Amino acid sequence: MNAYYGIYGGQFVPETLMRALRELEDAFVQFKKNKESKRKFQYYLKNYAGRPTPLYLAENFSNYVGAQVYLKREDLLHTGAHKLNNTLGQILLAKFMGKKRIIAETGAGQHGVATATAAALLNMECVVYMGKKDMERQAPNVDRMKLLGANVVCVEKGSMTLKSAINEALRDWVKNVQTTHYLIGSAVGPYPFPEIVKYFQSVIGKEAKKQIMEQNGKLPDSVVACVGGGSNAIGIFSGFVKYKDVELIGVEAGGESLELGKHSATLTMGRPGILHGALSYLLQDEYGQVANVHSVSAGLDYPSVGPEHSYLKDNGRVKYDVCFDNEALDAFKLLSKMEGIIPALESSHAIGYVVEHKDRFKNRVVIVNLSGRGDKDLGIVKQIRG
Amino acid sequence: MCKVGIYLVCDYLNRDGFLKAVEICNRYKIDFLEIGFPFSDPVADGPVIEKAALDVLKRENTGDFFKSLKSAREIFKGRLYVMTYANVIFGYGSEKFAKEAQMVDGMIIADLPLTESGKFKRIFDRYNINLIHFATPESSYEDIDKVKKISKDFIYFVSTRGITGGSFSLDQETADKINYARNNFNKDVILGFGIRSKDDIHKACKTADGVVIGTEAIRAIEENRFENFIKSLRQ
Ligand SMILES: Cc1ncc(COP(=O)(O)O)c(C=O)c1O
Repeated sequence: MNAYYGIYGGQFVPETLMRALRELEDAFVQFKKNKESKRKFQYYLKNYAGRPTPLYLAENFSNYVGAQVYLKREDLLHTGAHKLNNTLGQILLAKFMGKKRIIAETGAGQHGVATATAAALLNMECVVYMGKKDMERQAPNVDRMKLLGANVVCVEKGSMTLKSAINEALRDWVKNVQTTHYLIGSAVGPYPFPEIVKYFQSVIGKEAKKQIMEQNGKLPDSVVACVGGGSNAIGIFSGFVKYKDVELIGVEAGGESLELGKHSATLTMGRPGILHGALSYLLQDEYGQVANVHSVSAGLDYPSVGPEHSYLKDNGRVKYDVCFDNEALDAFKLLSKMEGIIPALESSHAIGYVVEHKDRFKNRVVIVNLSGRGDKDLGIVKQIRG
Repeated sequence: MCKVGIYLVCDYLNRDGFLKAVEICNRYKIDFLEIGFPFSDPVADGPVIEKAALDVLKRENTGDFFKSLKSAREIFKGRLYVMTYANVIFGYGSEKFAKEAQMVDGMIIADLPLTESGKFKRIFDRYNINLIHFATPESSYEDIDKVKKISKDFIYFVSTRGITGGSFSLDQETADKINYARNNFNKDVILGFGIRSKDDIHKACKTADGVVIGTEAIRAIEENRFENFIKSLRQ
């Protein structure tokens, strides 16, 4: 397999991990061909996770922005975010490979919860690395992970956010590579992870395309998704990328401002660099040191991005733009009041983008990927907004 | 004779202390030095080296590292390598980095496996800098064949699955792989990761051509006993 998306991607990891990546790639190819594995994955998606998730025409919100806005309701998936699509898939893949132990990183805690959930269901030992700062701002998810039987390891090094959690998970993996599968939570990391995560998340795009055809009779004008590492975005985009008339928009975290250190707008403001196993856009200083980043949303607070997004930016197929902290917080409240749907702060960035740019969406048909629900964010929103 | 190399984090604890350590290594005829250029996210390193690297990064950048490297080159007579991570080179500009690094014998890039090394190698080749390749307990015999074929300098054999700062042990399977790497290979096979003492060196050198000591050297610097530590290795 080709490990690159244009010039992006690759496998920039210590040599010790190369065999595991090769084995993972081989297993993934076998897994995709294996009828029984596919059947199991479909079974759990439907009967355990609750797929398909609805595509909901949000009428009040549509009237407010003057467009027809459909929400792809990943917030209704079991555990409250799209992350479970990937964790169910990868745990089945890990079982298929004979691994006994699962490790994961988490930022918002949604991937950690989804990993702990799938590990509980399929009886695997589970360790989740989480930055100290994120454990504080996403506390409800820490309790959920523990209840689900995961060992949550607090990372008190570096930025103490998602980036530090991935560093620690990679270190664990190098030590325990013979027994352990690293269940990475976004479309990032060394190849084949970006491809695996896209494969398991592409169910979002497949469903959304079918649903919009049923409800609207034609494809949408635009599809909007927030981009942290880029898994919910690549998942929904995958259903539309071949239809050139469908505009695809990835929304990054603009944070407080676009000054380096105050945002996580990797594709908007970064340049190519190597972190966590892949060459991709990266927020870094002129010497190649990874920059500090910020977002009010723990799930977007990350200096790199999945390599396929870098490719899709350069070739112009996807447009990437930002939504600032304040706009996302406003959108969080707005959607809650207007539709009775509390969006995750991550997803609030996609909503906020549509609100801020409502002029250009006027009278258009738009799908927003509502990647998760916002119960986890009540504490942090209250702290900031009172 | 079994070779001994020392890994030093560039400019740790500070510039003077670092250059003094280089001088001590030269005086006690350490065979080679690896100068670590700090990276913000050193995933192959344990807490001791990570902490040292982050400490240096609070006040210095790559420009400063090259200045110190130049001084180190003047002081130290043995072979000299820079060890770092891919983005310290790529993010700085690989060509520019290679040009400034010409005075070293080779580059060791912790997150650059053989399969990704081609582009870097082509650049470093032009400046006569050898790219060091790794073998590990996870390497197959075919992998080791490839590394032997391409290596113009020593092979860095990572002794255990893990990160820097662990303890040293060799299982039989790994020892067999090291022997295989040495067989019909006219350069050295150097063992790294977890080696701390004279005793470890003695054990490692039953199998390998030499060792490199990192974490324990950093600890000795922090505890102000570096000269005694180096002396103890040479007795
Ligand atoms: C609800 C939700 N949406 C989005 C993200 C961002 O991740 P990605 O860009 O991989 O979808 C997260 C990450 O934690 C999340 O929890």
